Order: sequence, then structure tokens, then C-alpha cells
Amino acid sequence: MKIVVTVKQVPDTNAEKTFDPANNRLNRSSIENVLNPFDEYAIEEGLRIKEKLGGDTTVTVLTMAPESGREVVRKALAMGADSAALLSDPAVGGSDAIATAFALAQSLKKIGFDLVLTGTQSTDAICSIVPAAIAEYLGVPSLTFAKKVTVTDGKVEVHRETESGYLRVTAPLPALVSVTKSANEPRYPSLKGIMGAKKKEIAPLSLSDVGEDAAHLGDAGSRTKVVSIAPVGARPKGTVVIATDAAEGARAVIDFLVAKKVI
Amino acid sequence: MAMNAVVIYVEQEQGALRRIGLEMATKGADIAKSLGVPSIAVVLGPGASAAAEQLKSTPVDVIAVGEDVPVDKFLLDPAVDALDALLKEKGPSYALFPASNAGKDLAARIAVRLGAGVITETTDLTVTDGALVAQSPKFGGSALATITFKDSIYGIVLCRPNSFASRKEPGKGEIVALSAPAAKQYAAVIEERVAQEAGAVGVDEATVVVSGGRGLGGPEHFDIIEALAAALGGAVGASRAAVDAGWISHSHQVGQTGKSVAPQLYIACGISGAIQHKVGMRSSGTIVAINKDPNAPIFEFCDLGVVGDIFQIVPALTQLVKERKGNA
Repeated sequence: MKIVVTVKQVPDTNAEKTFDPANNRLNRSSIENVLNPFDEYAIEEGLRIKEKLGGDTTVTVLTMAPESGREVVRKALAMGADSAALLSDPAVGGSDAIATAFALAQSLKKIGFDLVLTGTQSTDAICSIVPAAIAEYLGVPSLTFAKKVTVTDGKVEVHRETESGYLRVTAPLPALVSVTKSANEPRYPSLKGIMGAKKKEIAPLSLSDVGEDAAHLGDAGSRTKVVSIAPVGARPKGTVVIATDAAEGARAVIDFLVAKKVI
Repeated sequence: MAMNAVVIYVEQEQGALRRIGLEMATKGADIAKSLGVPSIAVVLGPGASAAAEQLKSTPVDVIAVGEDVPVDKFLLDPAVDALDALLKEKGPSYALFPASNAGKDLAARIAVRLGAGVITETTDLTVTDGALVAQSPKFGGSALATITFKDSIYGIVLCRPNSFASRKEPGKGEIVALSAPAAKQYAAVIEERVAQEAGAVGVDEATVVVSGGRGLGGPEHFDIIEALAAALGGAVGASRAAVDAGWISHSHQVGQTGKSVAPQLYIACGISGAIQHKVGMRSSGTIVAINKDPNAPIFEFCDLGVVGDIFQIVPALTQLVKERKGNA
């Protein structure tokens, strides 16, 4: 079985963000990029399915990024993924979520898959729409927000998180599953894994490889336009009081809430 | 591109609406009025008719009811087909979805089918020169983007809870039946529905969130957080430290790898306020922090900070809240 995990490089949460006023894009050059933390759950789930099924099951990692995406892919390989593919093309820069999903779906068709695993969101865009959009482009069942994933006999069963509990859902493969944080605890790359990752192949993909032209991608293929973007100023520091006893501390809070008219 | 309608997808389960449905119906109706087009709320699945009655209190023009659409049997596919068909029938339009798990999936899939743009995590919507303009926080709330649709025929907007005010102001409220798509076997089958926290308001939708962190020291102490949340009519949140320690389930987690929340009031108890927590709650209306460590980072961005013992202060505060609500 062929498992493909899509991953994304994201700016480190702790980094200060600046934006290029010419195109309202994030200045990515000035900040450290990391593997999207949410994607680690998808990688881990893929590795666990592989370990359980054994045989000829493989885990491939796919990302769409500039060349700097190699470092992020390398971490996934160090965790234990077998191979990787990097879709890198100047024309994909500025793609919105739906255009990104399209490029990833085209790449997935090219490399082939039985099960696509994704994270539920990225820490930079937090939009959570790429997984379902990929599934729709691929025309496969879309089993998103899964906190439990079981693969048997050409079928996948997931526990899909809802606002009040979960749904147990089944579908035939091929299918797409997005994996939540509750699904597992991602492993750390071992020293052996890190050394081994250096020898693993990262296959380059371009738009022409996946049979696509720039019109559907990048800025031209995006149906939304960021008119402006600005850093939000820090919240002003409020009042800090030191409570010498419980009554004083509680009174300080209730008086504040009443004055603010929040209760 | 002139639009023909504003379509508002309202989630319901067995006739019960969540508050965001009323918020979106109100906002959608206001936008439609500014554009001079009808507003159409859509409710699907068993209980849709009962939900539609509640939507009559909002200013929407039309409520499309798909009682027989089998959203309880198949995962989202029937809703995708029903909404896709409705939007194609209406022609160029804006469609509003809640930023819930199901809302995000529906928005994404319908956008693919219609070639539409999607604006996510929207916290405000206005109409300028006959077009929709959205505000959306990016990069964990550290930046605010103003976004419009380019030339798409359809524009899809995902709306964050607690962003728009709901208003009781009955509009035309005309009920129309939405016929179920022809009986169809979809691939993703819902085998079982398991309710774990039935009736609880989600942390991302509550107007008040009381969160506990590492300072609680163990799962048995979450009862003081629950008691304060209950007294305030709010939801229980948690920091990553408390979730990772296994004290409470991940659905309560606020922060980078949990939920982003923006309640009117956020009370952080025994939470240090690391950046990963901050990005999930910095947009809250009022932030109160109680922590014994005077150097906790959370004191740098809260509106009121109290340095003290949460095990003493939180129960005392719960008592004061109860007294005040009792007298009110």
C-alpha cells in the first residue's frame, strides 16, 4: 500500500513577522522555517500504519515549497518516511489554499497513492480547508479531523472529531484522512534516522511534471486578494495586583469584571 | 461581478442551532440588504424544520429546509451535493459557512466544485462598492488581513464564532423546501455517532472561557475551573501543558495546537502564557490571569493580573460570581 503524507513548511511561531508591502506576502527569508507541527501527527500515523501492515507498504512525503522546503522534508524522512517529493516552481508562489490544494492533488495523481494523510491545519494560515479540497479534486472520500485511523482490507475507518464527541466513519480506499493531534504522539527522529535521511531520495517535481500550467496556480490561480495586511500591535499591559489573601484576589477580579461590564 | 444572493449555511442537529447560526444569519441578512439581494439561510437533515422556526427570529428573507437530506447517514457528501445544487441554481452569490470542522470541509469542497475563492477565519464582513470585504487574522492573530474576492462568480466565507452580533428582528422568513438529491449511496458512511460531552458549549464558541494550566497540578483540581466556568455560564479551556499531561481532553485545548478562541472574557488560571497559548487567545475581549508566579509572561498581555494562589482565589471568585448573579 502506498501512503502519501502532505506536509508544509511554516515560519517558526516565535519569529517576528514582517510583510512585503509590494505584494502583501510574508517575508519568509528573514525567519526560520520549521515543519508544520500539525503535520507531525500525519507522518506519525502513516509510519504506524506502515509498521502495522508491513509488507510492501511505503510512506512518501509530499510538499510544495521553494528549495528551502528540503530541510523540512528531511525531518519527515528522519522520522522514518521512505521517500519524498518536492513540488517547487516559481509559478506556485502566492497560491491561496484552494490553488495549493489543486497543485498538491495534481502531484498526488502523478506520484500515485492508496491513502493520503494530512495534518488538520497549518500554524501559519490556520484555515483547515486544504485537506478537503485535495480530496474533492482527487474525487476520493474525504475523512477529515480523524483522531483514530484504522486501515484494513482496502477500507479505512476513522473516528472523526465533532463539537460534541465523534463520528465513526468508514470508506473504501483510496481515500484522504486528516489526522488530529489526539491521534498519536509523534516520535522524535533517532540519530540513525537522521543519518539515514541524508541518503533518501527527494524527487523534484515541477508544474510541467504534474501536467499543469501557471494559469491555475500562484497569484493568477487564486480567487482571493489580500488588499492589506498589518501586524497587530501588542496588547497593552494591564493592571497586575498582588493578592495577599483569597478574598482580596477574588474581590479584585469581580470589581474589575463589573467595571468592565462583562458580568 | 454582481451577485444574486447571499446564502448562509446554518448547522443544526436534531433541531438545535448553535449561536453562531444566529450570528451568521443576522450578518448574512445585513450584507444581502446592503447588496440589494435576498438572504437565504439553509438548514439540512433531520430536525431542519424545527431549526428553521428558530431562524425566523433573525432578519433573513428565505429559509431553505432540507429535512430529508441524509447528512446523518453519510459524511458531508449529501450536504455538498445539496448546497452545490442550490448555489448553481442561484447563480453568482456569496456563501457563508461557520468555521467549524464540518463548515470548513463543506466550504473547501464546494469552492472546488464552483471554482470559488474562500476567505477563512473571518472576523468581520462589510460591503464596499458592491463587493464583500473581509477581515481575517493571520499568523496566530499577530497580523490582520483585509481580503476581497477577485473575479470569482462565487465567493465563500468561513465565519469565526463570536465575531458578529446576532439580532432578534424577524425578516420575511419565507420557508421553502429543498428537495433531497436523488437517493444515492455515498462512499463515506457514518456508522455510529458517539456523544461524549453532549450539550456542552465548545470552547471556541463560548462567550466566557475559564482555562486551567500546569498550575492546577493534576486532573482532580479541574473542578475549581469547572465551577467558575459554570457560574459564569462559560466553557472550560486548558493549556497544552494540562492537555499533554492527560488532565483534560484535547477538545478543550486553547493555543497553537488547539483552538483559537475570542470570547468576551478569558480567565487564565495557573497558565504561564507561552507564545503557543497566547496565539490562541490574544483576540479575547478581556483577559484576566491568576497565577502565583509574578514573572509569568501572561501578566505582560492580560487586562487584569492577580498574583496569588489559584486554589484559594478561584473558589472565592466563584462564590462572588454566584452572589452577584443571584442578586442581579
